Amino acid sequence: MVRIKKSMSGVAIAALALTTLAACGNEDDGSSSNDGGGAESADIRVWLNGTDTPQEARDWLKETFEDQNPGSTLTIEQQEWDGLVEKLTTSLSSESETPDVVEIGNTQAPTFTSAGAFADLTGELDALGGDDLLPGFVDGATVDGKTYAVPYYAGSKYIFYRKDLLEKAGLEVPTTLDEFVQTAIELKKANPKPANFSGFWFPGQDWRNGAAFVWAAGGELAVEEGGEWTPALSSDESLAGLEMAQQLFMGASGAPKDGNEADPWTPFCAGEVGMMSTPGWVKGLIEAEDTGCPDTYAKEMGVFALPGTDAEPAPVLMGGSDIAIAAKSPHQDLAQEAVALMLSDDYQTIMAGAGLTPAKESLASLLGDDEYAAATVAAASNAKLTPAAPGWANVEGSRVLEDLFSAIAQGGDVAELAAKADEQMSGQLNG
Amino acid sequence: MTERTRRTRGTALPYLLIGPAVLALCLALGYPLLRQLVLSFQEFGLAQQFGRPPEWVGLANYRELLTDAYLWRVTARTVTFCLVNAAVTMVLGVGLALVMRAMSTPVRLLTQTGLLLAWAMPVVASLTVWQWLFDTQYGVVNYVLTSMGGDFQGHGWLLRPLSFFFVATVVVVWMSVPFVAFTVYAALTQLPGELLEAAEIDGAGVVQRLRYVILPTIRTVLLVVGLLQIIWDLRVFTQVYILQEAGGSARATNLLGTYIYRLGIGGGDFGTSAAVAVFMLALTVVLTAPYVRSMLRQERTV
Amino acid sequence: MARTAPRPVRWLANTVGLVAFALATFPVYWMVNSSFLDRNQIRNPVPTWVPFGGDLDNFRTVFESGQFLDAMKISLMVTGLTLVVALTFAFVAAVAVSRFRFRGRLSFIVTLLVIQMIPAEGLFISQYKMLETMELLNTVVGLTVVYVAGVLPFTIWTLRGFVEGVPYELEEAAMMDGCTRTQAFFRITFPLLAPGLVATGVFGFIQAWNEFTLALVVMTREDQRTLPLWLSTFTDVNRGTDWGGIMAGSTLIAVPVIVFFLLVQGRMASGLTAGAVKG
Repeated sequence: MVRIKKSMSGVAIAALALTTLAACGNEDDGSSSNDGGGAESADIRVWLNGTDTPQEARDWLKETFEDQNPGSTLTIEQQEWDGLVEKLTTSLSSESETPDVVEIGNTQAPTFTSAGAFADLTGELDALGGDDLLPGFVDGATVDGKTYAVPYYAGSKYIFYRKDLLEKAGLEVPTTLDEFVQTAIELKKANPKPANFSGFWFPGQDWRNGAAFVWAAGGELAVEEGGEWTPALSSDESLAGLEMAQQLFMGASGAPKDGNEADPWTPFCAGEVGMMSTPGWVKGLIEAEDTGCPDTYAKEMGVFALPGTDAEPAPVLMGGSDIAIAAKSPHQDLAQEAVALMLSDDYQTIMAGAGLTPAKESLASLLGDDEYAAATVAAASNAKLTPAAPGWANVEGSRVLEDLFSAIAQGGDVAELAAKADEQMSGQLNG
Repeated sequence: MTERTRRTRGTALPYLLIGPAVLALCLALGYPLLRQLVLSFQEFGLAQQFGRPPEWVGLANYRELLTDAYLWRVTARTVTFCLVNAAVTMVLGVGLALVMRAMSTPVRLLTQTGLLLAWAMPVVASLTVWQWLFDTQYGVVNYVLTSMGGDFQGHGWLLRPLSFFFVATVVVVWMSVPFVAFTVYAALTQLPGELLEAAEIDGAGVVQRLRYVILPTIRTVLLVVGLLQIIWDLRVFTQVYILQEAGGSARATNLLGTYIYRLGIGGGDFGTSAAVAVFMLALTVVLTAPYVRSMLRQERTV
Repeated sequence: MARTAPRPVRWLANTVGLVAFALATFPVYWMVNSSFLDRNQIRNPVPTWVPFGGDLDNFRTVFESGQFLDAMKISLMVTGLTLVVALTFAFVAAVAVSRFRFRGRLSFIVTLLVIQMIPAEGLFISQYKMLETMELLNTVVGLTVVYVAGVLPFTIWTLRGFVEGVPYELEEAAMMDGCTRTQAFFRITFPLLAPGLVATGVFGFIQAWNEFTLALVVMTREDQRTLPLWLSTFTDVNRGTDWGGIMAGSTLIAVPVIVFFLLVQGRMASGLTAGAVKG
């Protein structure tokens, strides 16, 4: 019932993805009725969040989709990350107002996938890229063997540092995690002024960066056994990681002990930061005239991926977005075509051009080969997701980890605090 | 005024007059409130929101809540915060309204406009600005206190719960005083000037005039505004939520409003969150009961 | 005002007024100040007190985003409609409650009170479901329905206080002079209620104008955005929030409220004497 086989002859840009999809379309039992010739035509509403997706990609998606599905239209409705969960909670439950395709943060995705908000994409997975899709993302969106969301783009945090300060202190770019901690502490010692100088800028609430130390030390936030999740912050490995974090908080960071990680370019451009772990797009803000400091510290900026214990990059928290189809969308076939286009090589090439790590591993080279691209690729290579526990949203919602790391930053007893956090999480993890 | 009662008993007019309001409220709130109540007896999470049939669990949500020592800590905190904030707001607001009467017209207009500006400022902006003012590193407050000789460089205002609630109180009071001042000032305009003059001629001092002439006249408005302050301050949410994102410890500073949110949307457990809401409603009723009872007594005797 | 205070009292009162003005408006000033600054000046170890050397870039950004006027239109419609409906409904209900005794009166008053005690944090999901069944999602009318319900209990309560503040004897006197009950009410009492209507009107206006959560879930389509939703497009956790844009946008959003107040504030000053004379 989907009439794409004929129409694609013209502009077949994403030909491969579409042929496979046409096959999928034919499997449909044709439940949605439509007057006239039996072809489904509709307006497909795609929700994209924030301004990450470049305009070029949006235009391409709309044009290509409408070319290949005569009679149908595709509307991109921009939403904000702020308040997204509220909006998805309501809109995805509505038959009449639900968007067809939505972008969702990769750590938010498990909450919705396990709740049945998204359509099952397991059957289309191979057509969409199969093993080539970023594996961590697919795992994170898989519940009981069924996959409900696919990666859209990725981006993990890496270390920005001041080349001049490292040089002045006679330090090298660290290659192991221990070296990193030592470098951070010595950098702080070498720069007694300003008083809030950070060898490593590490605000107290920043558990997302803190988790990397737990993971690098071999620890976990929570572990699954026989379908039951138990918190794991009190394991010896996790404690070692938390203590490393405390070393950094106490000996290397001048950031507020209870602050959050927003606007890291502000302290960087105030000359208060030696090293910091931030998303790649921060580069643009540091180099811009009205947000950053293009004439001063931006010139001394360098990057590397946070090193792990064994010369591999450390397992940092994986950032990025998923794309999913609303379970209640009445236009499942057309929605699938839109998703296929968004994962097509052409579309992902545009995304890579904007500095976003493509959803397919084979396209990583599109990022280029400067040091930023290298750091992006390296950071992503070993990145991890938050535990896929059904109640993980409870943990984040009640701010257990923000409280934990903030208390550690203030010099609290690590083992005691970890035990307390474990106790709180144990009631939440299993939903 | 008993004749008023006699005259209107049995006519349909009062019902016609309250009819539109009753209809509008039933239409817009009837179903949501009922649903909220039903939810509190159900196991209702995100999965149920997207169509899985909810499970009826009776009082389990309530039992789980009420046996949690944390809820009682949050409750005590909420009540204290509410009473302090309502008291400070009322004193400042009513005081300002009274003083406004004595101001010269240009100054009064200026003051009113200032209050209105504060009130009209979009919440996103006002909370952001307050956050900036008390910012640990780049806050204006720390900057000024330091340049005045204090040791406030890098002082974390949100770090300790008491200090956190001080900042929260400043923000909440700043946002609420305009409403109180405006409403009470409007009520004061109903005050007959002759009455005051007569009292003054009779030798009544400021305190006596306030007590015997001014306050009785605006009593109803004053009580309504005071009650509303208690209700609203009990439900304070956004201010505390935003401050928690900026610093401090969420667990040590949760009020019932933020607690409900973190259980509901934050954690996707709408059943428990509805139960807390019902609990909070009961708490408000209990807390305001003495006032409501005296008000009802007054209503009956009028 | 019927009387003028003695000079020292007035001097003291004026001082208090100026202090109150300063305290109330400092954050507002900071917002306006920031709206002229570059982002790297807004948050800086050394605060920029006066926007010398600032520019209109933020305002340009805000206007170039294009949707400001559309959002303004939606906001004006929703707020205007809410205000008219809520004030009308509340006014007649307040009169009923304070000028008549009738069965169910006390229950009505208490219900209004209890409604305001209900925590709203979880309510919006149910209200969404309700609007969905009414097919009013993404419509001005739908948002107005929930806003009216939001401000109505408060408005009735406050207006009731104002109606009771007007001595019934005044109306009776007019009725002795040959007015009908209705005439007496509209000639004598109604003008005296103007300050109350203004005070509650300002309240309702600000509530509806600045509301965020309900608008967020009800108005999901771009062409139906209210001003607070439009403002939130400048926050972007993934790209860094445009604080300059937020402050410039907020400054613009606050302007209609000020205009509204200046238009109606004259009514606030009219006291009993003025009203009685008019009657």
